[in-house]
Amino acid sequence: MGEKVIPADVPAVVLDGVSKSFGTNTVLDGVSLTIDRGSIAVMLGPSGTGKSVLLRCLVGLLKPDKGRVLVFGEDVAALDEKKARDRKKLFALRRRFGMLFQDGALFDDMTVFDNVAFPMRLHTDMSEAAIREKVSDRLARVGVAHAEQKFPAELSGGMRKRVAFARAIAIDPDIVLCDEPSSGLDPVMSATLDELILELHRTLGMTFIIISHDTAEARKVADTIGMLANGKLVTFGPAQQVFAENHPALEQFFTRATVGPIKVV
Amino acid sequence: MDKLLRSLQTLGALVVFIGQVARSAVTPPIYWGETLRLMNVLAKRCIVPVSLAVAPVGAVISLQGIEIFKLFGAERMLSSFLGTAIFREYSPALASVMVAAQAGSSIAARIGTMKVRGQIDALAVMSVDPVRYVVVPGVIACVIVAPLLSVLTNILGIFSGWVFAVPLGGIDHGAFMEHLTAQITPADLWIGLGKCSVFGLGIGLIAGYLGLNVGKGAADVGKAANDTVVSTIVLILLVDYAVSMALLGAGL
Repeated sequence: MGEKVIPADVPAVVLDGVSKSFGTNTVLDGVSLTIDRGSIAVMLGPSGTGKSVLLRCLVGLLKPDKGRVLVFGEDVAALDEKKARDRKKLFALRRRFGMLFQDGALFDDMTVFDNVAFPMRLHTDMSEAAIREKVSDRLARVGVAHAEQKFPAELSGGMRKRVAFARAIAIDPDIVLCDEPSSGLDPVMSATLDELILELHRTLGMTFIIISHDTAEARKVADTIGMLANGKLVTFGPAQQVFAENHPALEQFFTRATVGPIKVV
Repeated sequence: MDKLLRSLQTLGALVVFIGQVARSAVTPPIYWGETLRLMNVLAKRCIVPVSLAVAPVGAVISLQGIEIFKLFGAERMLSSFLGTAIFREYSPALASVMVAAQAGSSIAARIGTMKVRGQIDALAVMSVDPVRYVVVPGVIACVIVAPLLSVLTNILGIFSGWVFAVPLGGIDHGAFMEHLTAQITPADLWIGLGKCSVFGLGIGLIAGYLGLNVGKGAADVGKAANDTVVSTIVLILLVDYAVSMALLGAGL
């Protein structure tokens, strides 16, 4: 999309000592990690441990109190949206992202088609015919081609989520952020979405950062796994290695045990 | 003390917000498609209530005025009073109040809902400045739609006044028209329309601000819409009074 070319050895995302508190509640406490380009990273963790906050820090919707958030080498945390020059940089970086929000966040007053076409119309100079073709392709991939002319309010929760996913991948972003992609989906649809993620990863080389508490999903798609608990990154690394190490928090998560390092508040 | 500090903070935030809107409204990109869509929606939503609010006022002015003007044997002059009152005061104020009630509340509710449901964040992640995309079109729409509606209310107000003055009140049609056209100047029309645009600006800005700064839930969206209506109506009536005083003082 005309952005500057980034050297191949620059990772997609580097977090360096990122901390974030809301009042006295510390949700991220010195989180450092590196996510390579073209990988599928799944961040596991119980609800309320700052997984969504982490995603929001990546796109500059939230500013960490401490630490650096490097996206393709550029520190998002240092950009001040109120300054025109920084805003321009931030917006250029955000164009590299597609984001699937937890509740979809589709625009209520637009049809499914217009929702998916929205980023194409804004950020590309594609013709309306090309947009039509691409939107149809995206909607077909997520299995909602028949609902093009419906409004979000007329769709089920699972369909809204799939449309939101189609919108997130609309303009072939470099990094796709997914906040709980499988929540609210039935197991079959959830598996279909996982396969779609794998296919997009294989065919388009997109980097995925997936927030989840679905352990089956993590096993199926992840090549990198991290686990956040009580604001700290308790384990992070290649999936095989992380599974082999089997950190007590991860084990508790996978075995659904109520006793363990993860405290239920 | 805390309350005072909070009020000052809100005022400061509002000033910063107005600056942001002003900058966004004069630099590209301006989302004209969204602006036109909103204008269409708002005009459709406001046209009936605005008409229903102003038409009876013209009728009442004639009904009451005719009795008073009769005391001085000057009922033929009723239309000059009717014209000035409608063009300069009632039409702009009532049209704007109804725009505040209909358009202001719906803009605040829409933006508030978008915020609560994460759509404002979604816009930001898609590199779309929410102020540009949802606030500026609403402000422009209000600035344009309010005076357009007031043109309609001018006509309706005079017409309903005419009905009660001429066919029902027994005033001669020729005299009615003569005094109407002699008294109303283009300045009356422009002052009325100008007031409407200023009120529209206030409505769009307050609705946008309260919508974007909504709390967390559905009840907060209702509160934002409600606060928009109350604060803009109070503001409209106060500013209207101040502007009328100033214009009369300046001999306009």
